[in-house]
Amino acid sequence: MKESILERLKVKGQSILAEVEAKEVLQEAGVPVNPTVMARSREEAVSVSIKLGFPAVLKIISSDVLHKTEAGGVRLNLTGPEEVGEAYDAIMAAALDKYPRALIEGVSVQRMIKGGTEVIIGMARDPQFGPMLMFGLGGILVEVLRDVAFRIIPLTKKDARDMLSEIKGYPLLKGFRGTAPVDEDALAEALLKLSGFIDQHPEIEELDINPLFASEGGVLAADARMVLNWD
Amino acid sequence: MNSENMSQRLDAVFHPRSIAVVGASNTPNTYGYLFMDYLIKAGYRGVLYPVKPGSEEIMGFKAYPSLKDIPGDVDYVISCIGARYVPEMISQCPERNVKCIHLFTARMSETGDKKGHALEQEIASEAARLGIPLIGPNCMGLYHPEEGISFAYDLPKKPGKVGGIFQSGGIAVNFARYAGVRGVAFSKVISYGNAAGVNECDLLEYLAWDKETSIIAIYIEGVRDGRRFFKTLREVSAIKPVIVLKGGRTGAGTRSSFSHTASIAGSLNAWEVMFKQCNAVQAADMDELVDLTVAFNSLPAITGKRVGVIGGSGGKVVLSADECEQSGLDVVSMPGDVMDTIREKAPELVNWLGNPVDFSILGGTSLNPMDFMQIMAGSIGFDFLICNVTEENPFDHTVWAQLITMEVNEYLRVLSGGMMPLVATIANPGLGLGNTGEWHWKNLLERREEMQSKGIAVFDSVRKAATALSKLVNYYENRKSIGHGGSK
Repeated sequence: MKESILERLKVKGQSILAEVEAKEVLQEAGVPVNPTVMARSREEAVSVSIKLGFPAVLKIISSDVLHKTEAGGVRLNLTGPEEVGEAYDAIMAAALDKYPRALIEGVSVQRMIKGGTEVIIGMARDPQFGPMLMFGLGGILVEVLRDVAFRIIPLTKKDARDMLSEIKGYPLLKGFRGTAPVDEDALAEALLKLSGFIDQHPEIEELDINPLFASEGGVLAADARMVLNWD
Repeated sequence: MNSENMSQRLDAVFHPRSIAVVGASNTPNTYGYLFMDYLIKAGYRGVLYPVKPGSEEIMGFKAYPSLKDIPGDVDYVISCIGARYVPEMISQCPERNVKCIHLFTARMSETGDKKGHALEQEIASEAARLGIPLIGPNCMGLYHPEEGISFAYDLPKKPGKVGGIFQSGGIAVNFARYAGVRGVAFSKVISYGNAAGVNECDLLEYLAWDKETSIIAIYIEGVRDGRRFFKTLREVSAIKPVIVLKGGRTGAGTRSSFSHTASIAGSLNAWEVMFKQCNAVQAADMDELVDLTVAFNSLPAITGKRVGVIGGSGGKVVLSADECEQSGLDVVSMPGDVMDTIREKAPELVNWLGNPVDFSILGGTSLNPMDFMQIMAGSIGFDFLICNVTEENPFDHTVWAQLITMEVNEYLRVLSGGMMPLVATIANPGLGLGNTGEWHWKNLLERREEMQSKGIAVFDSVRKAATALSKLVNYYENRKSIGHGGSK
């Protein structure tokens, strides 16, 4: 059997997981993720993007750059190899301009997800009741309006369903002004998979899947980060 | 100890054949006197042993200098002595085969003092070592009407089906008194205080298991083990309604966090999440705790929110509809089967008579209000009725009383017919002693008692009734959907 990524990280004592590693963990948990590969050079970024397909997305990987978008570290909708190459250079320049001393490991490369509704699924630990899952709509709805639902792990099927319908933005999931309804079964399934996985892994301290794209055809994690606690 | 064993043991200790009150006293209004007197007045049927050094006799019972001097076994000990004497008292318990110790004794961990905390720990671990369940310290203990055990004067003596778990003794006593006045009777109510031994989870599991209890009311400020409480509450709520009043605002932890989720969670009231997830019935305050207990105590498992509102006239009818809607009930338009009857018997009302029913417009038509009520009760278009006693009729007290009595009799007829669940509302605008003799109020109080005694839940206002009913229906609807959706 393949060695668990968490076992591997435990040996290293690593506690902060950026996109690529966090997605590996999610995949192990059974949450569908958008295939993402790390590239350490312009050439690597180009060849990976050709393999994964266009349009591509590049995102900076650096533990010194927490807010990737603000640092110019995210480039979307790159339609061909030349654009990917240029974007790689632009990301490096912008990041070093803003954080001259930043240690940059490289970029993550993935095919851009078209369509679907952006949602956030997260996890945090409550000092009294333990691990909890959060669900909300992505972007401004979660950041400004805090339109989210929480449940304590372990979740029942009903809990997962209730989390979806509890948020005020629920009509957006049901399909709004001509958009297709998202696959609620797949969303609920993702919540239940995470619940079960986190219940088995007390070392998982915090998690953001932001965004997770939900569409008619299912769900796909586009970005994620995770905090582990090995104490 | 597994929960089944703990529940069986608690059940044994709550049916004691003998009780020793340690620190009993002849001095009225000391706790050593009061705990004796509560038991005497409640009609405790077992053997009562007052314990106090230097006393021959207390309140007519032979007194003993210490537990070990008592000639027989003691099932249950109520301790009213000072904290520092408790360890010695506990050391004597095994000799008397004591099965449970209730420490009314306080001044332990609740003081925030290190010594008090250490003493409590010492006492709890000694009781645990001896295998004796410990209730408290700092609590009123047990009210168990069937056994004649009480923690206050003049609580209902008739046993019933409501059980209670209270972190606060004062709230426990008030709850039993207020709900008792509203016609509720109790299986057992336990004030457990600091929970050094038996804790809220043990008691919750016990009442879930207890055949005498079918509804559970809880007051908590904090819990020892949040995970266990969550899991226990979720399991128990699937079997019996658990009504919860949470005291103490929970300071949200503003910890620094890496993720969005953790920063949002930091300002979250996790208790709210937990109660909702468990399908516990949350009471906003003491009034609601009592109202909800009254509702669950007398109503069946209603799983729909279509309400028919009967009684009252004019603006009161309009307000009652607003209050029902605001509470989440569905004030449906008059169902088809009822409309058919109106069309047949009083066609002139077809465009006028709606839900809620304004009784005043039935006057002078061929549709008698009382018959109409039976028609509504027979409709398939309502899930339950709220009957709003029409006290605003304008007649002199003789006719007024006749009309009120007729109305209430009709409510009772609906109840005995068993066709539809119903509750009643009678205003209580804050009656004083001087009012209770006035014909208006006296009659309403009599009607209220009559309905309560026959099993109709009576509320002070439509809003209170609607709030309680809405939460009751939510509970049963959720419980049903858990059953269908598979809980695991």
